[in-house]
Amino acid sequence: MKEKLIDWTLTLTIVSALTLIGNMIGYGVMPLTALPGIITLMAIVLAGMVIHHYLPFKVPSIAYIGILGFLVTIPGVPGAETLYAWTAEVNLLALTTPILAYAGISIGNSWADFAKLGWKTIIIGMLVLLGTYLGSAIVAEIILRIQGIV
Amino acid sequence: MSNEPRGLWKDWRLHAVVLGIVILTELIGTYEIAIGAGVILLLPMLYAVVIGLGTFFTPLINKAQSKKAETLVFMSVTLLIAKFGVEAGPALPELIEAGPALILQEIGNIATVLIALPVAIFLGLKRETIGMTHSIGREANLALISEKFGVSSPEGRGVVAMYIFGTIFGAIFMGLASGLLASLLPISPLSFAMATGIGSGSMTAASLGPLVSMFPEQSDIITAYSGASNLLTSVTGLYMSLFIALPLAEKYYSLVMKIKSKGKGVEK
Repeated sequence: MKEKLIDWTLTLTIVSALTLIGNMIGYGVMPLTALPGIITLMAIVLAGMVIHHYLPFKVPSIAYIGILGFLVTIPGVPGAETLYAWTAEVNLLALTTPILAYAGISIGNSWADFAKLGWKTIIIGMLVLLGTYLGSAIVAEIILRIQGIV
Repeated sequence: MSNEPRGLWKDWRLHAVVLGIVILTELIGTYEIAIGAGVILLLPMLYAVVIGLGTFFTPLINKAQSKKAETLVFMSVTLLIAKFGVEAGPALPELIEAGPALILQEIGNIATVLIALPVAIFLGLKRETIGMTHSIGREANLALISEKFGVSSPEGRGVVAMYIFGTIFGAIFMGLASGLLASLLPISPLSFAMATGIGSGSMTAASLGPLVSMFPEQSDIITAYSGASNLLTSVTGLYMSLFIALPLAEKYYSLVMKIKSKGKGVEK
């Protein structure tokens, strides 16, 4: 476990460094300013992975990570405001750029398979994605309107 | 976890390539393209997918590195999920208030079966349709379908095709569609935010990006809703597929096939 933890930490450190650089170029936040925020996020991720490792439930590790991040910033929790202020310096879009850069590199592997898919699959695939997205948005909109939130 | 990230940090060339992509795409910045009344938002992350794919065909990246990048997507998504979490905490009162919408929109994910399945049958596909349209076909669904029908069954071929499509095209497609839909349709960005939890980290990131940059004054609550919906989908998604979407797709398939064959009978 200890060895795994060190490995995760090193990998996350690299991704974090990439995020801080993107955060500086794209959103004008100096890496030092955003450093406490990205370290906070890393700590949440690592804690979530450790919890996932030890708990027997069949729940993906990202569920623990999400819940943990949520718990530490609930108003009234000690340090919540500080942690939130730190992480606010890490722009959401700066986090997404490295994700999609790695995603782009990884999809090269499936490119040959993709080229074999017919046009029918592509049409249906787009419909499935649109249907999922719009279906949820429409249900949410109806309920938010009934409640008068939007 | 199948994503064993052992020694991934050691691949300096891979990370250097990503560093180059990050610097380049963030320097290019965001562009808007007006299409009629709608807007397509071109964000650095979108160029990053395309350039990333491009590097695979250069000597910079080899097959093994492309395989490692897959796990690195998971590792970098975890930071985004943590960010979702910390944005959601302060929004707790709003999340409770929006609770009913957040929970019920999960059912909206199933709507896709109702629309896509008849179209697939109309295009002449058979039982592949069930694998293709019961969900967006990510890893969990791949596992579910291959366990139930076998990966070489028609249903299995369907889910594999959808998986490959989503892998290659999903993030790019959602990134372009999300901004366009939000600028065209009379649906609030908050509702779209709840819809971004579709069960794939990179697709969530890609569909959330344009919303956050088009509605900066609401970005905190948009992120909180998106995070909550993403969390709900990651916990309930597989069970929704198993107990609702898949049985629904099978029943609906028989129904549509029956109607189709009756229609043909009349023509004869």
